[in-house]
Amino acid sequence: MGDVPNLTPEQIEAELDGVSDIHPVGHGGQKSVFSGLIDGQRFALKFLKAPGDELDSDDTEFDYTPDMVVRAKREVETMRQCQSPYMVKLGPIGLEFITISGQPLVFFTEELIAGADLQAEYARPRKCLGISDVVQLGVQITNAVAAIWELKKVHRDIKPGNIMRRENGDFVLLDAGLAFDKLGESVSGGGLVGTPIYFSPEQFEYTSRRTVLDFRSDLFALGVTMYQLATGQHPFYVRGDQSGDVYSKIRNANPTPPHEINGDISQELTDIILRMMGKSPHLRFRKCEQLIERLISVEGS
Amino acid sequence: MSFYLQHGHGKSTRITDAYDDGSAAGVIFSPRNEKIDKLNDYIAELRSLGHLDLMLDPQFHISTVSPPKDRYLPDDYGYYQAGRTTRDFTGARKIQKYAQETLDFQHAMDLDRLVAPTVILSAFSDRWSQIALQLADASCDHHGGMSSPKPLLLSFVVSESAFDSRTEVDQFLDELTTWDATGFYICIVRDEATYTQRFDPDRFAHLMYATYVLGELNDFEVAFGYADYLGLALRAAGASAIASGWSQSLRQCHSNTFIKTDNMARRPLVRFSSGPLLNTILLSELEQIHGFGRLNDVLSGVGLDAEITRSTSPESSDWNERLAERHHWQTLADIDSTLGSGVRSNVRGLLTRVAHAQSLYSNLESIGVRFSRNCNGDHLPDWDEALNEFVRIAMP
Repeated sequence: MGDVPNLTPEQIEAELDGVSDIHPVGHGGQKSVFSGLIDGQRFALKFLKAPGDELDSDDTEFDYTPDMVVRAKREVETMRQCQSPYMVKLGPIGLEFITISGQPLVFFTEELIAGADLQAEYARPRKCLGISDVVQLGVQITNAVAAIWELKKVHRDIKPGNIMRRENGDFVLLDAGLAFDKLGESVSGGGLVGTPIYFSPEQFEYTSRRTVLDFRSDLFALGVTMYQLATGQHPFYVRGDQSGDVYSKIRNANPTPPHEINGDISQELTDIILRMMGKSPHLRFRKCEQLIERLISVEGS
Repeated sequence: MSFYLQHGHGKSTRITDAYDDGSAAGVIFSPRNEKIDKLNDYIAELRSLGHLDLMLDPQFHISTVSPPKDRYLPDDYGYYQAGRTTRDFTGARKIQKYAQETLDFQHAMDLDRLVAPTVILSAFSDRWSQIALQLADASCDHHGGMSSPKPLLLSFVVSESAFDSRTEVDQFLDELTTWDATGFYICIVRDEATYTQRFDPDRFAHLMYATYVLGELNDFEVAFGYADYLGLALRAAGASAIASGWSQSLRQCHSNTFIKTDNMARRPLVRFSSGPLLNTILLSELEQIHGFGRLNDVLSGVGLDAEITRSTSPESSDWNERLAERHHWQTLADIDSTLGSGVRSNVRGLLTRVAHAQSLYSNLESIGVRFSRNCNGDHLPDWDEALNEFVRIAMP
């Protein structure tokens, strides 16, 4: 918890004008998350520890920009620009640098989604999501991936822990903080960031000059996520694996076809999920629309 | 049907004959061999016949291998300039200009596809490959801004040796599959200058794999120029069209193809295309086969076989170069028409044909038929190995 800001609702309410009825929601990564009312509507309030002395709450640009700040900026910028209804929305307060009880903080607001992420609800207890829900998740998160790629960005951290469900049943992709920007400044230079058991093979090899990193990396991670939620098991990782084992399996192993684990899964859906996890980008889908069409045809059948 | 004629020098009535025979579904024009006014008139004439897919290989790539004095293309192809070097491709503006000029030129013609300019690659990692990628990228950009353009095919002219490295092929495919084009027009530059169906099995398998990835998996149109018999395997793997022409230099592409010579071409020996042997053989070899009473075994099962069978023997028939050309296209188009949309079943069918051809060759040789080099069955073990390797890597 050392990297997470230690805050109380009272401290926040005392500092932030126009925000009331604040309640703790939890911690995610390096963020402390609260909910609060702004203009009568409830939003998520997210706080990160800012890098101490270098920050001045009135500044918006810094000579020295640590990764954490770059990531927060990237996350906010992506939420603001992304047109997909299945990407979490930015709240009324964008990125701000504030000090609460002497703690320099980075702060922003976003759409509040009630409940737990899919990692907590399904992946950790090794439960399966219903097959039609898996297909719906595939369609909706692919829509978000497409919208992020419209911005020439790659999310790079698609996994059950970064997907939640709205009350209306729609799936929502969270946390674009690691997004790789093909056109701009990159977090960690496009290197190894994210969650390795959801990495595409090319994410491990990004130092190679010829490696192509594009939305198809996100399709790989989404394929792993769908596999996991449809079968109750990860396609490449088992408890106790070392990172080298995972790397080797992601690069070389052919996972058991999902329909052989869960008899409710059709051959067609198996083919789609396995293709999403193709070892090279050219083996996956070259357009998100193609994948969505295929998934919708599965849903229809 | 997806067999196209590769246009070249001396078209005469060859294209219309192939259309009348029902063997050609399209034509790939060669600027080198036609002035633009005549070509436009000819396109109008072909349009009046009925439906043919028409496209122009802009032959931009030849500008980097032909000497400055040798224009290679007639003067009225304004996008072309002989003697270009790598220096002519430095800077985005030059690349954009080449893409624009080449595509705009075709846009003004009555063609069904626009073919992007390219340069010749020896390897997928060489300097020229980067230039080819830049030209493709610039072509996509320019095409995106054109008013009601015909669909775009990105063009690549690649030495067969580039397909040695699977890793490099994979990396290149990762890049090719990012583009929003309708498809690709690909020419493979053969190592061997003579007309042969032999092809290194690993290279051939990797080439089929690339075709499968582009055509079958990623839904691109993939047209192969100068493909001939080898093109049948590429069609099986997912290519949408293959082309072949009347002379051997229009059936297979070799670096000699890019050099203008004033030498009189040697008159070719008259051949016969045998579907069951998956090869062309000399008329004298067909005569031997007839002498052993096995003529029916090597006939292609197409209409023009009758020109042979209605005579007392092949050599006493009226068989000539022109009939041999038309019969060759009928044979290719006939085999092509047996290929369906399923790659696995196509390959299985082709493997059966290869096995049959191997058995037929060895049977004919065992009874005393002597085949010359390049007319024998030496290519068939290569094909068999390549097809099996392709299945292993593409559809494990």
